[in-house]
Amino acid sequence: MRRLLLIARREYLAYVRTVGFWLSLIALPLVAVGSGFFVALMENSGEAREMAVLDLTGQAVGPAFARSLDDPGDIDVVAPPPELAGASDIDGADNVARGLVGEDGPLDAVVILTPGDGAVAARYWAARASDQDGEQAVSGALSELNRTQALVALGVDPATIDRIDQAEPAVTMLSPASASGGEVSLQDRLPGLIGFMVAMMLWSLILTGASILLNSVMEEKANRVLEVLLSSASATELLAGKILGVALVTLTVLLVWGGFGAAALSFAAHQGGDFAPALSGALAGLARDGLWLWLVGYFVGGYLMYAAVFAAIGSFCETPREAQTLIGPIMMVLIIPVFVLQFAMRDPDLAIVKTLSWVPFFTPFLMSARAPSGPPLYEMTGTLAVMVAFTVLIVWLAAKAFRAGALSTGKLDWRGIIGLVRGEGR
Amino acid sequence: MADILSLTDITKRYGSFEAVKDLSFSVGRGSIVGFLGPNGAGKTSTIRMILGLAAPTSGRIEVLGADDGRKVRDRIGFLPEERGLYRKMNPVDAVAYMAALKGVPVSEGRRRARELLEAQGLGDALKRPMKALSKGMAQKVQLVSAIAHRPELVILDEPFSGLDPVNQQGLERMIRDLADQGSTVLFSTHVMQHAERLCQKVVLMARGQKVFEGPVAEARAAAPRFLLLEGTLDRAAVQALPGVTDVEPAGDGFRARLATGAQPQAALKAAFERGLDVSRFEAPEPSLHDAFIVLTGDDQ
Repeated sequence: MRRLLLIARREYLAYVRTVGFWLSLIALPLVAVGSGFFVALMENSGEAREMAVLDLTGQAVGPAFARSLDDPGDIDVVAPPPELAGASDIDGADNVARGLVGEDGPLDAVVILTPGDGAVAARYWAARASDQDGEQAVSGALSELNRTQALVALGVDPATIDRIDQAEPAVTMLSPASASGGEVSLQDRLPGLIGFMVAMMLWSLILTGASILLNSVMEEKANRVLEVLLSSASATELLAGKILGVALVTLTVLLVWGGFGAAALSFAAHQGGDFAPALSGALAGLARDGLWLWLVGYFVGGYLMYAAVFAAIGSFCETPREAQTLIGPIMMVLIIPVFVLQFAMRDPDLAIVKTLSWVPFFTPFLMSARAPSGPPLYEMTGTLAVMVAFTVLIVWLAAKAFRAGALSTGKLDWRGIIGLVRGEGR
Repeated sequence: MADILSLTDITKRYGSFEAVKDLSFSVGRGSIVGFLGPNGAGKTSTIRMILGLAAPTSGRIEVLGADDGRKVRDRIGFLPEERGLYRKMNPVDAVAYMAALKGVPVSEGRRRARELLEAQGLGDALKRPMKALSKGMAQKVQLVSAIAHRPELVILDEPFSGLDPVNQQGLERMIRDLADQGSTVLFSTHVMQHAERLCQKVVLMARGQKVFEGPVAEARAAAPRFLLLEGTLDRAAVQALPGVTDVEPAGDGFRARLATGAQPQAALKAAFERGLDVSRFEAPEPSLHDAFIVLTGDDQ
């Protein structure tokens, strides 16, 4: 154990002392904060369009249309300039509007309301030909105007129309499996989301951690350090120390990112609303039936299983090109759970999802996503037991392969591995 | 002298290839033993089996009282033939890390590292990364990392390869110091001069088999003796001297090979009796190199 911890410590410090580690550590929070700031800047920097409305319908619908247009907030409806207000036909209004929104014109857009085929129509003059946002706003306002006019024509009271528009559909979802035994709330849904996030976190941990492990082992083999190390520690200690060291590196990154996330959640919770109680409810949900323990079990077991495989592969390679040919099939296996996860989220009891959950390479991802929905206990314990047994087998095989790879000078040799597994080596 | 290492009937096969065949030898405590043989003789395979890095196909190894080198790895120091340390580490950290793996506390390992590296003339390079050191310097660091935990048995695989003559001399001094401090040293080499100067005992390997085990003087005795004769000499007359089996020109005279057991004095006496004009007569002691050539069969 002393050697294992020494190896893990060296591995950890070797990465933590690199510039790349600190860059990757701060890159994501910086990008997250930066992009949020950028979006806010974009939203605030845009000036409201100045738009004039000319009503040629003769039905005095201009004010109602202008009220609907004003709703989005990024349109500022102004009084039509006198030359526009004086136009009495469409051609004349078009000529004036062209000048008003043209180069050096005072307005960004002009809407000319005209009588259409049983409904009001609009001609939208815009300074920019690509102004689709304005066109959509006009279309929405016009649609509302025409609907209201049609309903009024049928004798519906405008106040009633307003009341119908404001009404929201009230659907209450109930389930005996919810925390309350009745109504399903956000607190019931959050553990499922957290399970999904655990699966995705494991996936990214494997992708980043595995490449670190692979390169670390390859580098040691290329530098001829492995043979010296193997005379000082067992292959299992070396393998486990490296896996632990790299796990600590990636966990450090996750913890720092988690810290930023927790700060953001805390900030959101302090803003009030439904978020704070939902968050505390979700945490209570994770604690219920030891769900978090299952998630930790799948997470750790999954990481160990893949890390052992990647480290063993690294010990057979000296160049990234050699590694690439061996990593390809593993990467293809890793893509499968990403697709299946979507189905597991929507329907955790789907037959294909249930079957694939028993395949150790997929177990940690699929069961993390399924566990919050409360699958039968035999599935939870059974899949975990199969995965643990498979991981033990992989670690045993990987230690053998690690030793063989470390002492070999050539590429992967299946006959050599089979010989080692049968006991020709140590 | 009690044996610190003994191999009995060791065989190592890789598939159908037999790298080591029925090898037996022993190493006494506190001695310096040369493990000699040409490339591919099975030296590295044997060393790996002693360390427990590879299992023998058959036979028994006892090292420091254990039946598996892995059980006593903290008491063994090892310098592999293919050398390397972490390129970004500095020498002090590298030595302290290797010593820590062998059970030396990190602070003590650092202290020993500084002391040993300074003694090797690397005082100015203590904080430089390994990748910035010359090959000779890096090799010294690696050697220091193999002995910083004060091992009872030091195994060095081709320690002299890649070193310039000055550094080779320094390494020889270091090996003698290790033995003086009570360590046992087993080193492999195919350069006989080092073994000749350092070893009390040598084990010679050829094609996976032991061809000799014993003191250097005894190994030398296995080599044929030669006479060097200069003067106004006739080749046939030299060939006719007692005990001479073969003659070849050498410098201003001839180099005559003696039959096993033949006495140089008998040839000298006969030369004077026959009135040969000999201005120089020399019967040099055979070198380990000569013995190596004969014993490994490379003279065939």
